[in-house]
Amino acid sequence: MDTVNFVTRRLLMMIPTLWVIATLTFFMMRLAPGGPFLAERDIPVAAKEQLMRKYGLDLPLGRQYLRFLGNTVRFDFGPSYKFPQRQVSEIIREAFPVSAELGAWALLLAILLGVPIGVIAALRQNTPVDYASMAAALIGVSVPNFVLGPVLVLGFSLTVFLFPPALWQGWQSRVLPVLTLSAAYIAYIARLTRAGMLEVLRQDFIRTAMAKGLPDRMVVFKHALKLGILPVVSFLGPAAARIVTGSIVIETIFAIPGLGRHLVNGAFNRDYTLVLGVVLFYAVFLMVLNLVVDVAYTRLDPRVELK
Amino acid sequence: MDLSPRPADPAPALGGGRPQSLWSDAWRRLRRNRAAAAAAMILITISLVSIAAPWLPRLADPTTQNLALGATPPTAAHWFGTDELGRDTLARVIHGGRISLLVGLIATIVSLIIGVSYGAISGYAGGKLDEFLMRVVDILYSLPYIFLVILLLVFFSRSLIMLFVALGLVQWLTMARIVRGQVLSIKHQNFVEAARALGAGDRAIIFRHIVPNTLGPVIVYTTLTVPAVILQEAFLSFLGLGVQPPNASWGTLVSDGARVLALFPWLVIFPGIALSLTLLCFNFLGDGLRDALDPQDRSDVA
Amino acid sequence: MTRHLFRALLPLAFLAGACAPAPPGGARLAATSEQYFGDVTPPHDNTFTYNNGTEPETFDPGLAVGQPDGRVARTIFEGLTVPDPQTLEPRPGQAYRWEMSADGLSYVFHLRPGLVWSNGSPLSARDFQWSWLRVLRPATAARYASLLYAIENAEAYNKGTLADSNRVGVHAVDDSTLVVRLHAPTAYFLFLTQFYTYLPVPRWVVERYGDRWTRPEHIVSNGPFLLDFWRQQNRFEFVKNPRYWNAGAVRLDRIVAYSVEELNTSTNLYKAGVFDWNPSGYIPSQFIPYLRHYKDYRHGDYQGVYFYSINVTRKPFEDVWVRRALTYAVDREAIANDLLKGSREPWGNFTPTGYPGYDHPPGITYDPEKARECLRRAGYPDGSGFPRISILFNTSEDHRRIAEAIQAMWRDVLHIDVELSNQEWGSYLQATTALQYDVARRSWIGDYLDPNTFLGCLISGDGNNRTGWSNPRYDALLRQASVEVRPEKRMALLREAEALLLDESPIIPIYHYSTNELVKPYVRGLYRTALDTHPLTGVWIDRDWRRHEAPLAGTATERP
Repeated sequence: MDTVNFVTRRLLMMIPTLWVIATLTFFMMRLAPGGPFLAERDIPVAAKEQLMRKYGLDLPLGRQYLRFLGNTVRFDFGPSYKFPQRQVSEIIREAFPVSAELGAWALLLAILLGVPIGVIAALRQNTPVDYASMAAALIGVSVPNFVLGPVLVLGFSLTVFLFPPALWQGWQSRVLPVLTLSAAYIAYIARLTRAGMLEVLRQDFIRTAMAKGLPDRMVVFKHALKLGILPVVSFLGPAAARIVTGSIVIETIFAIPGLGRHLVNGAFNRDYTLVLGVVLFYAVFLMVLNLVVDVAYTRLDPRVELK
Repeated sequence: MDLSPRPADPAPALGGGRPQSLWSDAWRRLRRNRAAAAAAMILITISLVSIAAPWLPRLADPTTQNLALGATPPTAAHWFGTDELGRDTLARVIHGGRISLLVGLIATIVSLIIGVSYGAISGYAGGKLDEFLMRVVDILYSLPYIFLVILLLVFFSRSLIMLFVALGLVQWLTMARIVRGQVLSIKHQNFVEAARALGAGDRAIIFRHIVPNTLGPVIVYTTLTVPAVILQEAFLSFLGLGVQPPNASWGTLVSDGARVLALFPWLVIFPGIALSLTLLCFNFLGDGLRDALDPQDRSDVA
Repeated sequence: MTRHLFRALLPLAFLAGACAPAPPGGARLAATSEQYFGDVTPPHDNTFTYNNGTEPETFDPGLAVGQPDGRVARTIFEGLTVPDPQTLEPRPGQAYRWEMSADGLSYVFHLRPGLVWSNGSPLSARDFQWSWLRVLRPATAARYASLLYAIENAEAYNKGTLADSNRVGVHAVDDSTLVVRLHAPTAYFLFLTQFYTYLPVPRWVVERYGDRWTRPEHIVSNGPFLLDFWRQQNRFEFVKNPRYWNAGAVRLDRIVAYSVEELNTSTNLYKAGVFDWNPSGYIPSQFIPYLRHYKDYRHGDYQGVYFYSINVTRKPFEDVWVRRALTYAVDREAIANDLLKGSREPWGNFTPTGYPGYDHPPGITYDPEKARECLRRAGYPDGSGFPRISILFNTSEDHRRIAEAIQAMWRDVLHIDVELSNQEWGSYLQATTALQYDVARRSWIGDYLDPNTFLGCLISGDGNNRTGWSNPRYDALLRQASVEVRPEKRMALLREAEALLLDESPIIPIYHYSTNELVKPYVRGLYRTALDTHPLTGVWIDRDWRRHEAPLAGTATERP
């Protein structure tokens, strides 16, 4: 019951949050210089007026805002200004699964590699293995992904034609982008896991269990791991958020049709409807993700209760 | 990491041992951590070189172009080679360090000021105000922040000031949370109650007791924020929103160099090493500080 | 610990070694053939894959503006005429025959019998009439409507001063005859008829689905290919149109056009063999010197000029001597030959080359002494007292490097202080349109093979002017030229106008665009053209290319 209450309260809290975000973004977009109908080639004044009227941009700002709120509540973000043949919701529906897949693979890889590395480093604390893996991890967070990407492409795609250098078709083309995106997260998760494991291994009850004579391995895996990865679990929320932004770079370098690129290009093109739709969508997504992570956290750590 | 606070002026330890304050304790541990010490030395060297850049003798002007020369690999005349406009890469990297470190520092200070004040007020005030302020933080936390930064930079000018502010705004939330957490746990400690009972005012309590005890995590987090900010500036440079020419930060140099990696690898290798090395050192230092300030580390107990 | 730090850094050193710079010629990049850049295995089926570039805003032919938009539009629609793949001359398309009246004011087009849309409905001259009027209707807000202004009353109708569309000079006399009346003889009118804006659209589909009529499930077209699949920011897929009147001549079964924006990525995909063609504009300019010796690299002139435009409404630019100083202080040769590694041609005129019958007036050259003299005349001897000015450009490495170079040139020659302003596309457009800049980077690409496509931009008040410059004599010259029937006299008038323009310097020409593209050796029927237009109808994959290995048309550089 506690969980249900908690979840409900959080979901209700999302509404004012979303309203704030929508309002902020709306006004920022409108106040930015330029508009959606400027182009290198001019259009006659009459035509421009037509366009403005069609999209309601000739109305006073306040009324535009109200119209926007009304539409948003009905999940109707309208057509994209820059690509009027497409509805914003369509664009999101098409592009989000791509970004999600990219991010999911990257996170999965990060966990699959990062956690074991962190555990081993913790178990072998202050040995060369520990130092080497932590140094490697630090390098992982110090090399920007727009450097790593081209390096990987150069090495594995252009020098030896192992993987395609870009696009998102077939499993081979997923390898390099996922690797590039996950590098920093493997490193981060390794460090977090190590820190968490060290923390746990020092605890009294662990020492007690070890003193009782149970084989080392069992101790580690049964008790410590569950607690040791807690920092990782709580990191997953912000990690998802960061992967979303990190994917912009990956999507650009590897020409992947994801949502991050739409957002950045939309901001540059003053594509109001698209930007608003994507920002709100991401906000909802992140909030739901954080909610899931919080609930999962309490399942793992009996000491923490849902507030 | 247990960051339970200690009173600023503790009583001498029982048994007649030497009194160990939090700070000298930490300093001792830090000095013993060779990696952190090395990192600190490297950072100091880099900072000094960067600050002294305009006055370094025999260092080329980073803005002098030589179009006919174009991009050349490292030679005796140009240790780091030249870029497509014929500019000396060594000079660009050193001057780039000034910009990057400046951006990192100021943006971090911005986030520090906002975060610490916000967290301190929220934690100290408690009650409804605290709840409200933390609600706001929760809301802001779920914003796809970097998008707002992009919108901000697109809306306002691309000036350096704007960049500092925008980047600082991304980082202050965690700082606020950390500070608030610390303040909350300190507020009810005995020594604070004692001080209050003795008639100390709020301001005195804050400055003499609470702030010193929050400094630990704040310092650690600050040290770790600087590299994050520098990386974020690099990301913005990749999008064309970072530092504007003729200024060039490491981020600009690296993202430009990455584009011509196949042709002129030195244009990404040297700034890349500078950038990565600096970030590495900050991280090492931050880790070292975190370990040094952690009183539960038993490794130095006899 | 430092030992381990060093060990950890070793991989970086290894990378550095692996990426060791090679001698010019790019021989270190492992290619499957030394003469060609990258993988040369032809596709196993008749599918042609290429990079279409930036995602098109719309490929509705009446609304299409950019080149990517137009390429898609032309693949699935066809107009009265089609460009010859090599010379771009108008060839019979949907119209098999036409006549022009002696006074050059009217054209009669005869459509082929039996033309149908892709769904089987017959295509008639009425479709053309309706489509052109639709472009001109103000409510449509077509950006290229001005291309139809050659037609009588078209401009008035488009600008809203004329309400009756019947008075516009295009009429379908019967199902297969279209009569067009122009307001003045226009030498290049036939060229225009193959441009996107003149392509026909299916009325009933447009009326029914509005903005969404171009979606693959609704669209109906009349061109050599059909739109089969479209994923935004990703790709288009076209299949052969069996109902196309010349389907027999179409040898490709499928075309896949990707929308890859990043130049590096596009070139990499070509190298890896994913793309069969990497069109002009999608090769990073720094690569070009290393590509020159490859047989699949093509290079030639392109009808475009890169220039800086000066905002004459702002001080100190209202003084012509200041503008002249700025333009003479730019070393175009250094920019084109050194900075851009010869991938572009330094250019001192506003109109590009390749206009038959047009003789350029002398172009501007680099003259630092003259530049300083002009600045002195303007009252700023040696730059003293000259305010700080800024160069505006939109985000792109090339623009930035050129701006940095010119910033340095003006500083060194004129001793003036220049700052750079890098805006992203939206803000850049806003600033240039609203005249909120000092000096801005601009380009103009010709739409048709006539100098008027360039000179017309700088008429007073024209939407594409964006400099605030207004010269009554210039306007008069162009107006005269537009009604002049005799070609030599007309060209002379245009020449005089350009000379005046160059003297007044509201624009600073920098370089002449060129096409730089990569085409796999097994691709036939694709030629280099001055307008970078490539009809895909006649393209085919030659799996036997090694046996036929002869120089492809257009591979040699076309400069003396």
